Amino acid sequence: MSERLVGLPVSSPLLVLAMVLLALALLPATVRVIRGPTVPDRVIALDLMASLVVGLLLLLGAVLRSLAIVDIALVLALIAFLSTVAFASLVERRTRE
Amino acid sequence: MKETLTGLVAVAGAAFMLIASVGILRMPDFYLRMQAAAKAGTLGILCIVVATGATLGSLSALLHAFLASLFFLLTTPIAAHLLGRAAYLSGIRPRVLEDELAGRYHPATHALGSDRAPDAPETRSAGAS
Amino acid sequence: MYAFFLNVLLALIWTLAVGRFTFHQLVLGFLLGFVVVTILEPLWGTNVYRRRLWRGLAFVAFFAWEILLSSLRIAYDVVTPRLRAQPRIVAYPLRARTDTEITLFANVLALTPGTLPLDVSTDRRVLYVHVMYAQDKEAVLQELERSLERRLLEVLR
Repeated sequence: MSERLVGLPVSSPLLVLAMVLLALALLPATVRVIRGPTVPDRVIALDLMASLVVGLLLLLGAVLRSLAIVDIALVLALIAFLSTVAFASLVERRTRE
Repeated sequence: MKETLTGLVAVAGAAFMLIASVGILRMPDFYLRMQAAAKAGTLGILCIVVATGATLGSLSALLHAFLASLFFLLTTPIAAHLLGRAAYLSGIRPRVLEDELAGRYHPATHALGSDRAPDAPETRSAGAS
Repeated sequence: MYAFFLNVLLALIWTLAVGRFTFHQLVLGFLLGFVVVTILEPLWGTNVYRRRLWRGLAFVAFFAWEILLSSLRIAYDVVTPRLRAQPRIVAYPLRARTDTEITLFANVLALTPGTLPLDVSTDRRVLYVHVMYAQDKEAVLQELERSLERRLLEVLR
């Protein structure tokens, strides 16, 4: 593992390995989003993808020693939760009408 | 030493999330996919939050980590519960040995009985199958 | 519950008094606050805080262990080619009565891998739970009652 990542010092190769694993995890979730077959299936896959990106941002913040990136991750987590709740209420309302 | 330990925690968390993602692809029906995604995913993200807090080490980072864990512990159950209910109401049938929820919802009002479908005032019985 | 918040408040006041907001000072403040609360508690007529705090800690430890164990089980199931899950939706008769108790119990179930609460009946007597490994229905119901709900209610009541 190289000592520098995009010109910045890398603190621990293990953190970078974790980021690689998270990036790989985006693939199967993407396949599920494309394949469906129903809307809720896609919503949980998208929710998991949002969590994965949150994890990536957290680790990026750890690697770059930047608390600002951690804040971005938390905001993204908040938005992901809100969108999941909105999707759920949309799906449920549609069945009632 | 401490760096290796936090690194290992981060890798374990990432591995759990990878497994959750594979689970979401492999599981045969919606409810099983949800189980695989929501739970292993939560454990994974908690591990990563802890590892990040420990790596940054400052007090405000630890506070961030604590609040973030609390946030994930509170929101994951709510999202899972809402989605599960919405999916069931929208007519996605689970692949199960036995479904004790089947037929217990009142089709129009979505009132839920404890041992049989509840009687409700006569309304049009459209909507949920 | 109020006693616990009072204890946390005392811990925060301790860190203010010392003037150093560090993790160690926070723990020390909590321990000192614990002593104060247990001594003062009989003044407002109850004497359960010590027992409850202990049970709460025991529950958190048990819960963390349970999450880890069943996560590993599901992970194993996902990674190996054969699918062992035998899911079932059970109607679980609730012993929890108040809204707080039912909400907390449902949250605990949602966080435990392998169980997913779907809905509570309108009269709040039954919780419908999707269980992943449920070949034996009676065993599942008993497991939920004995290991999770009873422990949770012991902390709350």
